[in-house]
Formats: sequence, structure tokens, C-alpha cells
Amino acid sequence: MVDIIEISVVAVGTFLAMCMFSTLYGKSSPLYALAEESYIGFATGLTIIWNIDYIWKTGIVNIMAGDWVLLFSILLGAMMLLRVHPKYSYVARLPIAIVLGAQFGLSLRTIIFTGFIQQISATIVPLFTGGTQTLLYNWTIVICVIFMLTFFFYTVEMEGALGVSARFGEYLLYIAFGTVFAQTFMGRIGLVIGFLQSYTIPDWKTPYLLVSMVLVLALVMYMDRAGLLEKLTPED
Amino acid sequence: MAEILKNKQLQIIVMALSFLFVFLPYFLNVPQLNTASTKLVTICSIVTAFTVALAVIAQFRRGMNIINRRSRGWYFKAYMLVTLVLMLGFSLMGRDSGPYQWVMFAVVNPLSSVNYGILAFYMASTAARAFRARNTKALMLLVSGFIVLMYQAPLTGAYFTGFEPISIYLGSTFSMAAGRMFLISVTVGAIVFGVRVILGKEPSVLGISKEEK
Amino acid sequence: MMAKENGGILKWMAEYDRRYVYLVLFLVMVGPLLRPIGMPITVSPDTVQYYNVLQEVQPGDKIFFTLNTEFSGYNEIQSGIIATMRVLVEKHARVCFGVAHVEATIIPDLVIKAVQAEMTANDYQYGRDYVILGYIMPNEAAVAAGAENFHGVVTQDWLGRPIAGTFLDEITDWEDWDLITDFTTGICTGYIINHYALRGTPMIINCIGVSIASEKPYLDSGIIQGLLQSMRGGAELEFLIGHPGPGLTAMDGFSFGHYMLIIFILIGNVGYFGYTRQQQMKAATEGSKNG
Repeated sequence: MVDIIEISVVAVGTFLAMCMFSTLYGKSSPLYALAEESYIGFATGLTIIWNIDYIWKTGIVNIMAGDWVLLFSILLGAMMLLRVHPKYSYVARLPIAIVLGAQFGLSLRTIIFTGFIQQISATIVPLFTGGTQTLLYNWTIVICVIFMLTFFFYTVEMEGALGVSARFGEYLLYIAFGTVFAQTFMGRIGLVIGFLQSYTIPDWKTPYLLVSMVLVLALVMYMDRAGLLEKLTPED
Repeated sequence: MAEILKNKQLQIIVMALSFLFVFLPYFLNVPQLNTASTKLVTICSIVTAFTVALAVIAQFRRGMNIINRRSRGWYFKAYMLVTLVLMLGFSLMGRDSGPYQWVMFAVVNPLSSVNYGILAFYMASTAARAFRARNTKALMLLVSGFIVLMYQAPLTGAYFTGFEPISIYLGSTFSMAAGRMFLISVTVGAIVFGVRVILGKEPSVLGISKEEK
Repeated sequence: MMAKENGGILKWMAEYDRRYVYLVLFLVMVGPLLRPIGMPITVSPDTVQYYNVLQEVQPGDKIFFTLNTEFSGYNEIQSGIIATMRVLVEKHARVCFGVAHVEATIIPDLVIKAVQAEMTANDYQYGRDYVILGYIMPNEAAVAAGAENFHGVVTQDWLGRPIAGTFLDEITDWEDWDLITDFTTGICTGYIINHYALRGTPMIINCIGVSIASEKPYLDSGIIQGLLQSMRGGAELEFLIGHPGPGLTAMDGFSFGHYMLIIFILIGNVGYFGYTRQQQMKAATEGSKNG
């Protein structure tokens, strides 16, 4: 037996989801605006809650446990908030400088390896030893990485051998983009199907989905015919 | 005090020191230095969490502006601000049950899903309208996309087994190489940008305006 | 609906309303969910590699189960998430949930509900066998600090209860994790790779389709040990572990969605070459005649 709370969750969820889908009709509608502002409002509230939670647990709780050094985090955080003050916004520059410096330190000390050295060394693969499939894969990877990289040289003139290399790299990129497009579509369609699954399984949810779809479509078409879409939709 | 805080040189020095205090201990492996560096990183993680408030304040300001001007549809912004406050209130009633959970499942989750799910429809319609085999490059894109799409659909992937090895080959070589190429390029760009910021050549990152430079 | 003037069907194929695409796509995805067909599936080498890493998990291993996804991403990779959790529970691993997005804070509950039977059968107890930490990775600094000094950053679980006394007492830094299972739309995965995997912590990733090309280089370079790709990868994993779930049931609609895209692209090309291109050539010829 399904309880009223679950039914209300499904009913409201499907209605709001269909309101958001109403953008596919091709015109802005107040139903889409309703869904959009619902999401923005609740999601922003959610973000505030969990960031306060993080500051509390990582900062305040540890300070109360005796880690007084973390008091600086509260002080710097408060200084950071003054960024929005028209007169005292300069106060935020010090915490920004500290955070940025630390951030660059964190990134640069690792991406040099994960994004550069290890990627280059992974491209240096055996080209003359191994089975047929391994050789095919290795040669393709090496050729693709080198020629694709030359396509993105913007600081030198693309002529002669470099020009030929760049044009060849462009063709290789198009093959890669076809693959990436297919993988991206797989991802997006997975999102939609996953969403639809949550409102068709178990079966009792399906009528709510279908009714919401028909209801929202009918409302949007009615508003379109009555000229209400533009009147009721918020300005951008 | 104001002059000290406004001093551009001081900010760059502080940024550079902060950078070195995090960057160097990683390679030197001195335990006390590592501990101090980790403490600074923890402080920075908390300070960064504060910056969310800046985005929220901007959101509030924009919303109030629209409401005060009574722009068309201003009531939607009022509704948004009400839902924001409601969510804060609901969280105080408990996050593992009650109205908070109701909102998560009835509003946030379906809308988050559809927000990105809509892109599948846009992708399909854009692909249907824009993907034309006008020239060799476009044809190559279409052919590789076609092969991978046919493999990804389990039905054809299982019955027409020829698609599988070609699709895996394309994914493990061309697509991976493109990903690697972008990763290397972005990394080099990030390193160059980082060095420029640390050396003070990008003051706008610190919020220093052109007049102050 | 059909073009009446010159061009006929070819004109329609070149210029049809895009809303037909939306409607047909929606119907071919919903239809099989309401009336499942049940299609066979092959398993890719990457999924086998991911599965093999999971098979090496030992009882008592400490697993960092990171959810780097909004709720939309969860819809896509839930099959992989639930299947992975199922394997970990059957292996009696100890699982610590951490999330990097505020929307993901309720996902651990959903995952636990999905594998409740297995957890009950294996006598899983909160604190001893699993802990939910909540939103502990809001930014890179948090990930890095957690990697270097876990208890300096994390002292409470997601409901504010102290983690002292749980199995997390055994964690001090990145070295103490036996495996990281990351489920991602790309939020903090780069940071986890940089601060955990680069230091040698074994890591496997289940990513959405959009991220496959950007995560593959890490797999190829050996920084991560397994990559499960999108919903299809999750379905393959369900097939491998012999426990059908949301992934396999979605594969019917998944297939038809792909076919519809191919058909629409073909229709568009037929329309382009049969009508639009002719019109363009005709217009170019008339333009050159007029001077």
C-alpha cells in the first residue's frame, strides 16, 4: 500500500519535471519559469545549508576541540564576505590572495604529473614489439596524440611539414569527435532514461507521469493559443 | 590598515608565500612542514566554503532588484526567495526525514534530472539538423559516430559483432588520444596561467582594477 | 505535416519540425520501460577490468565510496553505483560514503536501500561496517586536506554524530584506504586523482558518458585501475555479477534511443542531399546567370 507522502512526492515531482520539459515546446512558458525558480530556490537553500554544515564541522567543531589555528579560517572567511561591501571590498583581497596561492600550489604540484608527465610517458609505448592488436593500438595512439597536438599550435605559422601535420591532425580529431559525440549522447540519453525509470518503476507511478505530461502540454498549448505565454513568462 | 590591505605588492607576496608553503613541502617531505602546510590547506578549504555566501548574496540582490522594479513575472523571483528560506527552515527540522526529504525527492531531484536530461533532446535535434556529410571531415565524423552508436545500443552490439572491435578501437585510441591531447594542453595552460598569477602579471584575479595597477 | 509544394517528402525530410524529434525520442524511451523486451548485452574489456578490481577486494578492506555527482548524474550511473555496492557488501568490505555535491547527500541512503537485503544478510552495522560522512569535499583544498590528515578535516558524520569509535579510526591519510570507488560527473574526480590516486591509492571510476574521453587517459596511463562507462557500463556490470537492476532494464529504451538518433540523422542527410543542396545549387546557378 503506497502512502500519501509517496504519492505526493511522485505527483509533484512529475508535474514539475514536465513543467521543465515544457521548454521543448519551443516557447518560454510560466510553467517552465515555475520549475526553474523552484529548483534555483531550493537548490540554493541546499547549498547554503551544506556549506554552513561544512564550516561548522570542519572549522567550529575543531576549534572547540582545541585546534585554535583554525580561528584564522573564520577570520579570513568573514573578511572574504566583505567582498560585496562597496566601501570595504578591498578587505577581501588578503584572504583571496592566501586561498589563490594555496590553490595554485595544490593544483600545480599534482597536475604537472597527472596531466603532463604521466600522459607523455603513457604515450611512449612500444611501436615494434607486441601482438598485432597491441601494435595497431600503440601506433594509432602515438600518431593521434602527436598530430592532434600540432593542430593546436597557435604560436607558429602552419606551413610546410607543420601545416600538413596540422591538417592530418584535424582529420584525426574529426574521427575522435564522432566517437565523443556518440559517448556524450549515450550519457545524455542515460540521464533521461534513468529519470523516466524512477517514474515508471514501480508501475503505480506511471499514470502520474503520463497525466502530468498531458496536463502540462495541454496547459502550454492553451496558453499559447490564448496569447498568455508571453504575458505570464518572466522577463529574461 | 586600509593602505596595507590595498597594497598590491603585499597581496602578491602573500599569494606567492601561500603558494610556496603548499607547493614545496610536497616535494621536501619534512613532517613538521607537511603538518603546517596541511593546516593551511584546511584553513583554505573552510574559507572557500564561505565564498558560497557571495553567490547567494548576489542571487538575493538580483531577486530583490527584480521584485522592486516589478518587472514582468516578478512574483516568480519572490517565490524563489521564499523557497530558499523555506529550505533553510526545513533543514533545521532534520535532514534524514520530514519536509527536507520531501523537497529533495519531490522538487530537487526530478528537476536536477530534467535539467541535464533535456540536453539529450537538444543533442538529438541538433544532430539531426546539423550533421550533414558535406565534406570528407564531416563524413568521417558521421561514420565514427555511427559505428560507436551502433555498438553502444546493446541489441546491435550483441547481434552484429563487427561493431564491437571497431568501436572499442575508436574509443581506446582516437577518443582517448583526443582526451589526452586536451588534458596536456589544459595542463600546460594552467601551469602558465598559475605562474603568471604568482608573478603578479594577472592582478585582475586578485580583484585589482585597471586604475589601481 | 507533409510538404505540399515542390520537394515533397524530400523537403519535409530537410525541414521537419524539431519537436517531432523530441516526441519520438520520448516515446521510444518510455515505451520499453512500460513494456520491457529484454535484450542481450556484450561486456566490454573496460568493464571486465573494473569488475576484476572489485573482485580483488578483501573482507575488511576500507573503501572510500565517493559520490561526485548531482542527482541527475545518479540517474545515469545508479546501475553502476548499486552494482558496485552490492559487490562490496558481498565481499564484506567496510565502506565510507563521502559526497562532493549537495544534491548527492541523500544518495547514500538510496544506495543502502537498494542493497538492504545484502547488507542485512551480511550483518552490516553502521559505524563498524559503513559510515556516511556527507558533504566533505566542497573544493580541492578539502580533498587535499582530507588526503593528508583525515581526522583534521572529518570529525563527524553527515548527521553530526562523532566518527570516533567507527572503523574510520584506522584512517589517517591516503595510504590507509584500500580502494577508492568514485562515481562522477566530473566535480571533484580530478582532485581525488591528484591527491589520492597519484600517491598510489587504488582507484576505480564510474563516469557519465560525457566524461569518458576525459577519464580514459588516466586509465590508459595507469593512474586509475578501472573505468566503468555510463549506464551501459553499469548494465554490463549487473550482467557480470548476475544481478539485474536498473541498468539492464533500461537497455531496451537505450537501444531504441540510439537507433532513433541514427534514423533522424539519416533522414536529415537524405533531405539535405535530395532537396536543400539542389536548392542551393539552383540558387547559385541563377545568381551567376544574373551576374
